[in-house]
Amino acid sequence: MNRLLATSALIFSWCAMLITPASHAQLVPGTTPEIFKQFSEHVVKIEVVETGSAAKASTGTGFFADATGRIVTNYHVISKLVHSPERYRIDVIDVAGGTTAATVLGVDAVYDLAILRTARQPKGHLVFESKPVAQGTRLYSLGHPRDLGLSIVEGTHNGLLKHTLYPKVHFTGSLNPGMSGGPTLTQAGNVVGINVATEGNQISFLVPAERAMVLLEKTAKGGTPPAASLLADVGRQIYDNQSRYLAGMFAAKTPRVILVPYDLPTRPTEFFRCWADALRRKDLPYVSVTHDCSTDDYIFVSSEQSSGIVRFYHQLLSTTELNPARFFTLYSGQFQGGNAAMFGNEEEVTPFRCQTRNIATAHGKLKGVLCARQYVKLPALYDAVFRVATLGSRNAGLVSTLSLSGVSFDNVQALSRRYMESIKWQH
Amino acid sequence: MAALGYIEILDGKGGVSERIAVDGFPVTIGRAYGNQVILADPFVCPLHLKITQDEQGLLLASDLESVNGVYPALGNERVAQLELQSGSQFRIGHTLLRYVSVDHLLAPTLVDGAVKVSRLASPYAAVILGAILVLLLCLDAYLSSVERVTVAKIIGETWITVSMLATWAGMWALASRIVVSRFNFARHVTIACLALLTISALGVFAEWSEFFLPRVPMLWIAGVFGYGLVLAGLIYGHLGSASPLRRRSRLWTAAAISLVVVGTSAISDFAARSKFSTIMEYTGVLKPIDAAWVPATSVEEFVASSEKLKKDLDGLTKKAKALQ
Repeated sequence: MNRLLATSALIFSWCAMLITPASHAQLVPGTTPEIFKQFSEHVVKIEVVETGSAAKASTGTGFFADATGRIVTNYHVISKLVHSPERYRIDVIDVAGGTTAATVLGVDAVYDLAILRTARQPKGHLVFESKPVAQGTRLYSLGHPRDLGLSIVEGTHNGLLKHTLYPKVHFTGSLNPGMSGGPTLTQAGNVVGINVATEGNQISFLVPAERAMVLLEKTAKGGTPPAASLLADVGRQIYDNQSRYLAGMFAAKTPRVILVPYDLPTRPTEFFRCWADALRRKDLPYVSVTHDCSTDDYIFVSSEQSSGIVRFYHQLLSTTELNPARFFTLYSGQFQGGNAAMFGNEEEVTPFRCQTRNIATAHGKLKGVLCARQYVKLPALYDAVFRVATLGSRNAGLVSTLSLSGVSFDNVQALSRRYMESIKWQH
Repeated sequence: MAALGYIEILDGKGGVSERIAVDGFPVTIGRAYGNQVILADPFVCPLHLKITQDEQGLLLASDLESVNGVYPALGNERVAQLELQSGSQFRIGHTLLRYVSVDHLLAPTLVDGAVKVSRLASPYAAVILGAILVLLLCLDAYLSSVERVTVAKIIGETWITVSMLATWAGMWALASRIVVSRFNFARHVTIACLALLTISALGVFAEWSEFFLPRVPMLWIAGVFGYGLVLAGLIYGHLGSASPLRRRSRLWTAAAISLVVVGTSAISDFAARSKFSTIMEYTGVLKPIDAAWVPATSVEEFVASSEKLKKDLDGLTKKAKALQ
């Protein structure tokens, strides 16, 4: 899933495209041109500017949510400022092109929301839909796709997705990078959700409006908190949210899959997707069967960090042709290979540290290695990879890997424990 | 006339580089061509020293008022006169001399102790060890291949190592030819084969011990100390037949070179380790052996020991924060 963030690089690549001028034909109430005309002045463009070069580092959309001028947007639009307040500032640009500086009042990293305040009093603001919206209802999304100017996108409400890391509105319509944080409205102009992500082909997602109302309520009193406390909030929110989706994962009720001769965990909750494949080639003297499960969703922490990604990957290797010494060359190689994280830089994470042991579980013996790294700015959170290989067989072996991102060390330990105990041999 | 004795010119290591017969006394020594013993040492005077014999037959070496004087072999005090016995050493200029009489008592003849070494240095040893090495290399190429193998592929892989080894031994042989005037190729091949076999044995031992006891970083220990020792042994062995160095000097040279090589790689390893990376570094050797033979910790112990991991990471975070 792609967050709808437009980076400055994207802007440059798209700046050559032309924008079709808006039509000035007579407007009919409730039609798209009328909705655009009526509500676009409440929508603003948000730019995160790198103060050193005075150039924009990312852009998104936001909207006025009350008469005092508070603006709702996505956390991921302004996350750079939360992580490095000394290097960035936020500019809010209204429809007329007026630019005002904004401060961050509060964030909800789990639901990807942020509340901003500017000194300027808005002419008006949007209101939230209070009644449930039926599936199929026509919706109108506003935002600045790829910094091309304020646009309106039509689509339909397709229900609330509950089997995700957090509930989201499934919006069938084309959201694009830069529209993040913009409002999606009913025909009456009430906010149903906040644009947050897309999977392409008109599959898009909105944060439910209630979550924005909760955050507005929380930030109603009190002024602008210091950036350090916002970052601490992000850490705490992600830390607290883990128990929601990690509790019970790989416990007794987890469904099982058989990769002969092993009995293994599969799809622990509905927000996992699992895939299987096998490599059987005549020119290879062994067979490799894989079973790969991963969460489809994640919680944005920073441009190089995310929380909530859980992936586990079983690889069964077997042979009838290789002698044990040669088979174990292959098996050792698989156990020790592919051991680099995709992302990470020195400012945000520590290097990995690992421990390797031979472990006796209730079901058999494993070689296990646990590697972990800590988030430097959010030290309660860790990325971890736990990998095991079954011991004892001479012509078959299982390499199984569990990777977790943005979780507490207690959860690293608890999940590693439950994971190794869930690796069983068929009897 | 039969010789009464000899004046020997000694080299720096006590070996005789020249021997001049003494038919009668007095004998004069110096740079001038009129002397019985002529030295090409610029620190020696044309007429430097005279050896005379008194009535009792006592030999006396007298300084002929030379510029740089006469010294006993052991001692830094210039002497005007020196009593000589058979075997007495003395120094003039930069030259060490010894007088021996014809009836000088000789040390007993040495039994040829080099027989063992020469057996090791024989071409047969090189051929036998070379054959063992080639067989083991072929076996290793076969066992470390996880795809279907052909004889050509195995020989191809083995050939690379064998030709590198031959080149290495050849370079030492060339050095031997230049320094000690003998190639000693077979001996250099034997030494290189022994070193390679030791390293292989060490590698196998380290892998198995790390498989059984992953807590002890045996591969790392063998990699630093084991290979360091083998390298020192290798250089010591090669120097033995490629240089006139004595045992102790060879030992020091080998230790110093090995220390430099191991030290350099340890420093670069440390530098690489302290540089940020997203790679998880661990060893996870797996071996085909019955699980009952493998010592293992409990799940509880594994989880408990991960606390140390957490502590390490806390330390790294503190360090990273201090740098920001």
